[in-house]
Amino acid sequence: MAEQEQVFETVALAGEVLLASGAEISRVTDTMERIARAYGCPELDTFIVSNGVLLSSGGNGRRYQAKVRHVPLGGGRLDRIDAVNQLSREIGLGLHTPAEAYARLKEIQTAPPRPRWQQILASGVGSAAFCYLFGGTLWDAAAAFLCGLALYVYFLLLVRGRLSKIAMNISGGAVVTVLSLFLVHLGIGANLEMVTAGAVVPLLPGVAFTNGIRDIADGDYISGSVRLLDAILVVACLALGVGAVMAAYSRWIGG
Amino acid sequence: MFRLIAETVAAGVGTVAFALIFHVPTRYFARCGFTGAAGWLVYLLFRPGLGSLPAIFLATFAVLCISRFSAVQLRCPATIFLISGIFPLVPGLGIYQTAYAFVNNATQEAGSIGFATLKTAIAMVLAILLGLELPGSWFSRLAGRWSR
Repeated sequence: MAEQEQVFETVALAGEVLLASGAEISRVTDTMERIARAYGCPELDTFIVSNGVLLSSGGNGRRYQAKVRHVPLGGGRLDRIDAVNQLSREIGLGLHTPAEAYARLKEIQTAPPRPRWQQILASGVGSAAFCYLFGGTLWDAAAAFLCGLALYVYFLLLVRGRLSKIAMNISGGAVVTVLSLFLVHLGIGANLEMVTAGAVVPLLPGVAFTNGIRDIADGDYISGSVRLLDAILVVACLALGVGAVMAAYSRWIGG
Repeated sequence: MFRLIAETVAAGVGTVAFALIFHVPTRYFARCGFTGAAGWLVYLLFRPGLGSLPAIFLATFAVLCISRFSAVQLRCPATIFLISGIFPLVPGLGIYQTAYAFVNNATQEAGSIGFATLKTAIAMVLAILLGLELPGSWFSRLAGRWSR
């Protein structure tokens, strides 16, 4: 592949990996431009929105090149953002040829997630900690721990990405609520609302919320509003899942 | 006093747990935990005197400053600390209570809790916006002094 094309592909891939991992738009733009400049193609133009990377280069006697990549709304892979950030620094220092950088980006793109047991455990620990912060007792925290574990067991072992995001959040909220009702009835944990609220925290859209605000602060209104809308939708779905179970419970079993 | 220390520790532990869920590399865990714990401590210290909203504002601002400082010092994206460190401050209980009141037809209660939750979120937004406006050179100068 010609040098120029390799640079182009590398820049496109860097943008794609960053965006899919949940980076802010300005970071994607900056990183792509920095890599392009380091490889001597400053005339590269980029246009990034929350679910797509567009770039083109050429003119002034050079061949025109263009690329459009669709990137589904993703996020939550901060390890990849860190790795690309590191790589772009090294490229800036002239440590990698474009082909090497491309290979490294491919590696980053396929880096495995953390083992499932770690994520499940973290969900439990996180739920318990936040249940305690909301004012729950240690018993409440223990119940939230179990609910948090169950939530990620449900996501990672049962659903495995086969449901849409909306269905996942509604059912996730419902699973947590059913389980906390059950545990509170068994006498593990006394405050239903603390237990449920703690166990729902792993579902809260922290990445979308934070990035949405950052994008809007940077003037990337389109991406920012899409991300904030995503965050609002997730919260609404959660509330729906929790609410449906609570409504059914108080109607048929009695609260 | 016990509750204060225990809650701060819980905030730190919870933050590390969420850092793991977001696949933060292990070498940043300690700083993530510190960021989350510091944010919650600021919230606890200012809540009695200033009320909940200003306390959330200051806590979010603290999380943001620590994140930006850490990013410069450890040469990595601030997002890593910001996204995990902000989690303890997200009004999860308010969201739950709003949904609960809503399905119980307690419309008025749902409205008032929902509005209070929204105000918390807006306080966080304002703090993030303000923190992002601080010039980056302040953080690099501070980080430079720190490492010397």
